[in-house]
Amino acid sequence: MEFTEKHVEGLKDLLYRMADDLLILGHRNSEWTGLGPILEEDIAFSSMAQDKVGQSLALYEILHELGESDPDTVAFTRNDFQFHNCQMVEFPIGEYDFSLVRHFFYDHADALRFEALTETVFEPLQMVAKKFKGEIKYHTMHANSWLKQLANGSEESKIRMQQSINELFPHALGMFEPSNFEQELMESGLFIGEAALQQRWLDTVVPLLESYGYTVPTDAAPLFGGRKGVHTEYLQPLLDEMTEVFRIDPSAEW
Amino acid sequence: MYGNAYVENPAATNSLTANEDPIKLAEFEARIAAGEKIEPNDWMPEQYKKQLIRMIEQHAHSEIIGALPEGTWITRAPGFRRKLALMAKVQDEIGHGQLLYSAAETLGKSREDMTNDLISGKSKYSNVFNYPAKTWADSAVIAWLIDAGAIVNQLANSKGSYGPYCRALERICAEESFHLKYGHDNVVFLATGTPKQREMVQDALSRWWEPIMHFFGPPDKMSVHTEVLMRWKVKMGTNDDMRQTFLDMYVPKIWDLGLTLPDPNLKKNEETGKWEYTEPNWEVFKQVINGNGPCNKERLAVRRKAEEKGRWVRNAILRKDAKYVTPLA
Amino acid sequence: MKIVSLDPRVTRENIDAETLEGELQPLDHFETYEVFEQRKRGTHHVHVGNVHAPSHELAMVFAKEQYTRRGQCVNLWVVRTSDIFVTEYMDSDIFETTATKKYREPDAYKVIDRINAFKAREAAKNA
Repeated sequence: MEFTEKHVEGLKDLLYRMADDLLILGHRNSEWTGLGPILEEDIAFSSMAQDKVGQSLALYEILHELGESDPDTVAFTRNDFQFHNCQMVEFPIGEYDFSLVRHFFYDHADALRFEALTETVFEPLQMVAKKFKGEIKYHTMHANSWLKQLANGSEESKIRMQQSINELFPHALGMFEPSNFEQELMESGLFIGEAALQQRWLDTVVPLLESYGYTVPTDAAPLFGGRKGVHTEYLQPLLDEMTEVFRIDPSAEW
Repeated sequence: MYGNAYVENPAATNSLTANEDPIKLAEFEARIAAGEKIEPNDWMPEQYKKQLIRMIEQHAHSEIIGALPEGTWITRAPGFRRKLALMAKVQDEIGHGQLLYSAAETLGKSREDMTNDLISGKSKYSNVFNYPAKTWADSAVIAWLIDAGAIVNQLANSKGSYGPYCRALERICAEESFHLKYGHDNVVFLATGTPKQREMVQDALSRWWEPIMHFFGPPDKMSVHTEVLMRWKVKMGTNDDMRQTFLDMYVPKIWDLGLTLPDPNLKKNEETGKWEYTEPNWEVFKQVINGNGPCNKERLAVRRKAEEKGRWVRNAILRKDAKYVTPLA
Repeated sequence: MKIVSLDPRVTRENIDAETLEGELQPLDHFETYEVFEQRKRGTHHVHVGNVHAPSHELAMVFAKEQYTRRGQCVNLWVVRTSDIFVTEYMDSDIFETTATKKYREPDAYKVIDRINAFKAREAAKNA
């Protein structure tokens, strides 16, 4: 079918959501580098943070081809209201239970989103989705192993993990905040839409969590806003920090 | 990233080989002289084991603590290229720490014991990491020149006699060649960039010069002990030799960029082929090693906190029938 | 006194400069698993090092990033170190005898001279 301006706008919006999620969460997760709970896990968690930032770069590059500014400018010069990431990814890293549960929720959604996008009619995105399949599979393996082990670990670990699940679940549902272009994205074969993705995600994570022995607060109401540029108090300070050196001279080559 | 070992000199009256079985000692030394490696369960003199544990452990600590000054900039690296590379570099340092702790463990000291000695201040690590990385340019100078210094030392040590340490170092040297390239690239961009960038990198270089000169340790007093450790291929070169190699390889590259070094006496004597320089202040070096540098307290407190913060995670998943045995290789 | 660091991550951790916490007990960093990697199909798995881990599952997760984050790998094994039986280096002379056992080597079996002599004899008989 013929793409209208609205289709392109919808596609860009989708790319921004994904890229901003990946950049912000990759940035957050990189804060653990050198401070993780054990050396081996430090290395694994850092690799996944790098993968996320790398994936965000690939998506910003597609956006650049669609006429947006270059990736460094887009990532390092916008303010919080211009970011399309969901709020869940911007919270500070907290304790390891919080970071792990967020990683579990996010990476399953990421895996399913990219899987759906291996069938998008927009070829550059289809290629990126295929390229990162292996990386993302490892991320979900890692997340599953940890959630399973900590559910069956100590009383303390079980309580901590369950609390983080309860706390993060409404924010996790916020990942699927509908865009203004759901109809356009679906009718054109660009994307299956947020509602369908959320259903696939629930079908994946709820049985997994229950099989590990957690309870899932399925009646939680989603916390929206991030996709429309409404953010928590944590995003702007994160951006200020991330861009501190870049802003010394944005026209310089670093 | 590690300079030369702060090798312990036992009391002068105490020979390194006192009380050792002369036949076993001769076999051991013949093996090393023939270029063969020593493996974990081989017979070895007590002092060989002791000095190696000390050295490999210091090296491992240096990687873990070395992740902190550069980590200072991990959330602020400008642009995707630098952000990804710095994350990967700091990650590598942690990876190297893991490999080196394993190598030291083969000699019978557990990672827990080594970590405890680190956070209590009992063990040492490379002195340079007690200095702050004040600006982004400091992280570039560290990545280039501290890694360069470390490679000089590590390449030499990878020809040493202890198998597990050599194997770890081979992997580490391969990875650190990326660090060196990244660091050089970073410094070149700053030095050839805007006046502001150039000023940043010159300042950082001036700040780090003395710690870099300290990195290889004070001039060796050639004692009988040093000779024995060199014969055993524990120590693979004198501190001064390594410093000379470093100066020879990197001073010209620094000068190529039009950067200056804060030592008016620094020059190569073409007759001797040796670099001449002002001796760095070794009293300062001693002070910093003994805990009085600008960041010693912070570095150790951060490591303590990291161990403490991870404790509930580790305790929760430790299996009941876990059985620690010394790693094999 | 809380540490105010040049590293914003450290400042956020709100670390007490005088803290004496953190001391580890034995096994706090778990036991070790030896790691074997296969670089490509058709080759042997080769020992590359070990990881500290609480289980086979996490040992695998850890080994993947510590040992294969650069370069090629198609398969990994992890084995609890305590499950491996090893020979002693002091017993390595047991391997030396093998080389002298000529009957195990192909060049210990040379019969061409014998065959030629036989043929010559037969030819002489029939001549």
